[in-house]
Amino acid sequence: MADFVLTTRAPLIAGNKTPADVTRDICHSLEGRPTPLWWGSFLFAASLLLLGTLAVSYEIATGIGTWGVNRTVGWAVGITSFVFWIGIGHAGTLISAILFLLRQRWRTSVNRSAEAMTIFAVICAGIFPVIHLGRPWMAYWLFPYPNTRGSLWVNFRSPLVWDAFAISTYFTISLVFWLLGLIPDLATVRDRLRGGFRQRLASVMSLGWNGSFRTWHRYESVYLMLAGLATPLVLSVHTIVSWDFATGVIPGWHATIFPPYFVAGAIFSGVAMVLTLVIVARKTMHLEDYITLRHIDVMCKLLLLTSGIVGIAYVTEFFNALYSTNPYEEFAFLNRAFGPLGWAYAIMVSCNVLIPQLLWFRKVRRTLWIVFPISILINVGMWFERFVIIVTSLQRDFLPSSWAGYRPTPIELSMLLGSFGLFFTLFLLFCRLLPVVAMAEVKGVLHVGREPRGPDPERVMVGSSAQGRGMDAAGIREGGPE
Amino acid sequence: MGSEKPSRYWKSWEEGPGATGLVQISTSEFPEPLDRPAEQFNRRSFLKAAGFAAAVAAAGAGCSRAPVEKAIPYLIQPEEIVPGVSYFYASTCGGCATGCGVLVKNLDGRPIKLEGNPEHPLSRGGLCAVGQASLLALYDSQRLKAPQAKGRIASWQEVDEQIAAQLASIRTSGGAVRVLSGTISSPTLNAEIQKFLLQFRDARHVVYDGLSSSAILDAHQQTHGERLLPHYRFNRATVIVSFDADFLGTWISPVEFSRDFADGRRIDSRSPQMSYHAQLESRMSLTGSKADRRISVEPHELGEIMLRIGARLAQLAGSAFPIAARTQDNSYDTVIEDLARRLWESRGRSLVVCGSQDVRLQILGNFINDLLGNYGATLDIERPSQQRQGNDANLQSLLDDLDKGNVAALFLHGVNPAYDLPGGQALVQAIERTPLVVSFAERLDETSALAHFICPDHHPLESWSDAEPVRGTLGIFQPAIHPLGKTRPVLESLAIWRGQPRPAYDILRDHWRGSVFPQQTIEPDFQTFWDRSVEAGYSEIRLKTSKPPRFQAASLKPFSQSSPAAGELSLVLYPKISMLDGRHAENPWLQELPDPISKVTWDNYACLSPGTAQRLGLREGDVVRLEVDIDAVHSPPLELPVFIQPGQHDQVIAVALGYGRKSTERFANAGPKWLFGGSDVDEDGRIGKNTAPMLALVGGSLQYIRDNVRLSKIGKRHALASTQTHHSLTMPRELPIVGGEHRDIVRETTIAALLAGEKKTVPVSPATNGLWPADHRYTGHRWAMAIDLTACTGCSGCVIACQAENNIPVVGKDEVLRHREMHWMRIDRYYTGEQDVDVVYQPMLCQQCDNAPCETVCPVLATVHSAEGLNQQIYNRCVGTRYCANNCPYKTRRFNWFDYVRNDRLQNLVLNPDVTVRSRGVMEKCSFCVQRIEVARIESNRVGKPIADGQIQTACQQSCPSQAIVFGDLNDPNSRVAQMARDPRRFGVLEEFNFRPAVNYLTVVRNRDSHEENSKVNQNNG
Repeated sequence: MADFVLTTRAPLIAGNKTPADVTRDICHSLEGRPTPLWWGSFLFAASLLLLGTLAVSYEIATGIGTWGVNRTVGWAVGITSFVFWIGIGHAGTLISAILFLLRQRWRTSVNRSAEAMTIFAVICAGIFPVIHLGRPWMAYWLFPYPNTRGSLWVNFRSPLVWDAFAISTYFTISLVFWLLGLIPDLATVRDRLRGGFRQRLASVMSLGWNGSFRTWHRYESVYLMLAGLATPLVLSVHTIVSWDFATGVIPGWHATIFPPYFVAGAIFSGVAMVLTLVIVARKTMHLEDYITLRHIDVMCKLLLLTSGIVGIAYVTEFFNALYSTNPYEEFAFLNRAFGPLGWAYAIMVSCNVLIPQLLWFRKVRRTLWIVFPISILINVGMWFERFVIIVTSLQRDFLPSSWAGYRPTPIELSMLLGSFGLFFTLFLLFCRLLPVVAMAEVKGVLHVGREPRGPDPERVMVGSSAQGRGMDAAGIREGGPE
Repeated sequence: MGSEKPSRYWKSWEEGPGATGLVQISTSEFPEPLDRPAEQFNRRSFLKAAGFAAAVAAAGAGCSRAPVEKAIPYLIQPEEIVPGVSYFYASTCGGCATGCGVLVKNLDGRPIKLEGNPEHPLSRGGLCAVGQASLLALYDSQRLKAPQAKGRIASWQEVDEQIAAQLASIRTSGGAVRVLSGTISSPTLNAEIQKFLLQFRDARHVVYDGLSSSAILDAHQQTHGERLLPHYRFNRATVIVSFDADFLGTWISPVEFSRDFADGRRIDSRSPQMSYHAQLESRMSLTGSKADRRISVEPHELGEIMLRIGARLAQLAGSAFPIAARTQDNSYDTVIEDLARRLWESRGRSLVVCGSQDVRLQILGNFINDLLGNYGATLDIERPSQQRQGNDANLQSLLDDLDKGNVAALFLHGVNPAYDLPGGQALVQAIERTPLVVSFAERLDETSALAHFICPDHHPLESWSDAEPVRGTLGIFQPAIHPLGKTRPVLESLAIWRGQPRPAYDILRDHWRGSVFPQQTIEPDFQTFWDRSVEAGYSEIRLKTSKPPRFQAASLKPFSQSSPAAGELSLVLYPKISMLDGRHAENPWLQELPDPISKVTWDNYACLSPGTAQRLGLREGDVVRLEVDIDAVHSPPLELPVFIQPGQHDQVIAVALGYGRKSTERFANAGPKWLFGGSDVDEDGRIGKNTAPMLALVGGSLQYIRDNVRLSKIGKRHALASTQTHHSLTMPRELPIVGGEHRDIVRETTIAALLAGEKKTVPVSPATNGLWPADHRYTGHRWAMAIDLTACTGCSGCVIACQAENNIPVVGKDEVLRHREMHWMRIDRYYTGEQDVDVVYQPMLCQQCDNAPCETVCPVLATVHSAEGLNQQIYNRCVGTRYCANNCPYKTRRFNWFDYVRNDRLQNLVLNPDVTVRSRGVMEKCSFCVQRIEVARIESNRVGKPIADGQIQTACQQSCPSQAIVFGDLNDPNSRVAQMARDPRRFGVLEEFNFRPAVNYLTVVRNRDSHEENSKVNQNNG
């Protein structure tokens, strides 16, 4: 695959970098002291995390009554945030696994941070199903483990059990995939550092990487296999999450359209979140050469595609409800759009379907100050999509006698903020501790060596051979600053 | 195959070929085999297990030491107390003066539930919400535990000596002694009071009722020459016309009347027949909501309409009618003609009741009933009711005496005049000026706080007493528990002060021996008579009948009622079904019971009709100030939130009595307290506002209707804790609905349609053949319920019965505002129609679906289906995902959002030991009273007889005054529930989704000619 030469398109990495430049640029942010901007962001994120931790502790100590949920609306912000974070977590695997299999080489600049984002988002997501339980200390009962309670087992008919399996599987695979991808880069970090905790950590985590052909060969095979394994998970996880609703009898939940609809939505929100993060990262960490406008442009196109799918799903839902002649279904959807939470529906449609239409324009796709707010609005819209699906369906279901409203409490909102705090705290730590761009992979798509008029004939040779990667590591060792 | 089956010999038909699952007594606990595989326990597994056990035992023994607690068993088992086995004592309900029969369920030595006594001739097994909840008052830790003298706790000896000394001086000085009480139907207590009063020269027993029916008694004084309250017999009436009498809700004897009313309206679908009931009223009452024809009138129009019906009937009877109708207004002509015709056609089988406190209207009612020959048929004055004896004229003269300082000693029993009379501060001062005030109150209330001595009476469940609610029908109160405090029955207190101290039991027995026993002819021996009466809880004696008094036509005099100008508002003060006159305001069960009509808990409010609210620009929850001029004196204004009540007359503001009691300050901590939790009480620390200052005691009767009310908006808002915020089955109009959707959740029809053999309006056939084989075969029992919506009056007795039976917590106002009430049984109430609304009630509880949506979604199998059709909730397996509640189409599941307040250890004695108290974080719901099923099963196994139909009664069913609820085995084709399930009127809620609910509802039937009749008539009236 290294013979694949980009001739007709602009280079993926700007600035005519050499592999040594790549190493220097990426490792630069790890080796210096944190900037005041980093400290400021970290403290802000950590205080949100603290707020969330306090809220969760209070909730677990006192009861779910500290939330705004009630006898009619049993799920609200908690499960909304769960589905939201799981959705965010989708882009990582999509970019690292599916795009890898599809040979989309532009992924190399963003796949590391996308995968990190996946891991952190799944961590955030995984917290909510536990803390939303009435008795969170019994959460392990959702797993089928051998027990002494006779033939007592979990209920394999319940989608919540599948959820527990799907999410834990997804988290495991994503984590392994990410750690595996980190190995060559960690070896580079290990070799650049002189002692200290971080060097020891990098040395343990790089698993004795020596850059030999054999190591590279094994690494690439495993990476390919894991990518193959992770690919179905992109589809399965959110499909199963959608079954939490689709297997219910509640009008507005009970729909066969949910799995594709949810998967598309998940990718949509995940890519939007990746965009948000890389736009910030490229600016603050000076990665403009690695994450170019072309990357942004490609991801915007992905957004446009998924936004279209989501939009079609919204229309289809309405059509199905009205076509069903089931009065409860009809009402559920009219109530969704025009009922007491119609404003949430309006936010959802405008953020998820209307605003992304701007991305049809190449100019918009390449204007960061427009793309950035769009990416944030899409995530707002996607959070509200889940909120609308969950709350508006529950609040007015079959018997009008039981209809109720829902208003979140400060505890619930603090937990939502806390989950963002956790996410950004982890992400900021990641930016400080690990290379945010997959150096080894970026080196594989460098322009260097792909054209005969390279500045350094030695490097041309390095870039054009199949074993090029193996020698990259060596090249870095030679060319790296001492 | 070759294996030979040994032939089986059978000894009887039932055991052999006749054996079915029903007659066979199941000997095993689980009728279906547990799907546990035969365990292979081989040597290896044994060694594994043994090794593991040894290791754990070694580790465990090293780590912890269980504390040594020595339990000492009874050496000699106390008689009647078998742990876990309940006993029932027949007694009488002390919740109000109605005197319904109860069975007190005693478990482990304490009463834990009141059930209606099915043998009792009046209540016949029903018990209302107040009666059910009166049990909780027994365990009220704020009940007085000892007598008080001048505000401090004293000993009985101290109190007795001081009272005796003061009484002695009154005896010599000849001062006036007054006993002020509520209606006392106890013949023994009445006799004892008379004996006590005989010692004094100027002594009188004054009776008043917070919910007065004094005008009915006064009217009979004039028309029949005897101050009596007829015993109304609704079951004998085929046409019932009620003028503002809420006889199914709060009027005189609602449990008995509900049963009678329902009995007259039980529909046999083959030959449908039911009584006709018209209600003319200004507010929406429970009774009005069940009427076949409800006419909403301005309160002052009642007299006019009554007059014209009377005149029309007199015309039909060809007799003279002395009063001319005042106006030529013909707006009610069709109504009057129709009602008069119906009444006339059912002469002797009709009944006109009137709830007005205007004696002239009551006289008119008596005239109409007499004209129709209803006396002796549907009104019994030979054996009159004694459930309301209040005499407001006497009350008025007592208040005057008090005011003038003419009373030397005042004894208060069962009344709270400082709270529920309009006198206000003047009355309080008058009571304070009285030299000796003795209260028998069980609690420190507004009046007993003024008393010099409080001599607390026993709770009715602790005392011996009797009641004679209807002459000739006597009930016995027998104690079900040793008194919890140092209280003393009034009977004993009076006897001591009379100088003849004797135990209450002896006083009661002697009175029965002397006065009751001689009147009966069945038992020759007093001891047998007594034992029988105590065992049954009641006794019916055949009175030597004298000729009942006759109607005296001369009493009917002309009168005119001034009606206020159009647009002017009248204030109607009404009793709520839970609060009545406020006597049980400290009962949290009743405070949290949703009003059947408004569905609001924990508050009273100003009900306005939708039209008036719109005209005045008021929304629900806006606080308004109400002002009435009383005797030209500016009354204290009343600030209340607005509640919009469909069906109410436009010129009426209706406000409930019984709120704003001082004792409700205790509810500040009724619900869970947390960081962002709201208050459970109002700003003044109480629940609701006291409306008694708005009452008027004029013309010798307490008036509940006030004219010329000024209403002003004060710009504040007050949230009403309602358990139901949507009131119609027609979808909200602000949503553009395709086809104007009306949900088929409750079905209604008319008798005419039934007679015409009309098929169900919406034929819905649930899918009968599923794709998969049925999960359960129901080889043994299959529990199911049937609820006749025609019979259900919405009285909510079942709600409290369920709460008492199943240890359902009280959550407080703030939690209800957050839609987190915990009732397992609720009454859904829907309005139909636009201007003049019809009301339907639907008791809603877990439907125990065969295809239960909750069961499939629980990840930990905490809700599973039993082999007998029960949907079981396993509390200790539940982790609290709440998915089941979300997925329940009926929203009958309740979640424990907090650990609810249970820190009152005395109050915890009311908990039913047979039912788990649920902890925080688990789901709960109606279990079909599985504990009662199990008791019956154990009993059936013990005696070796199958469970008979009707042997198991759920708590809601047991309590239902109108017997709307039937529980039983659907597999037994002869069971009542199976019969009802075959009724053509049967429907299941949301059946079209194939949930297969085990609760069968029977369509509401109204006695109408067609569907449209009611709306047409009312449109004519404008």
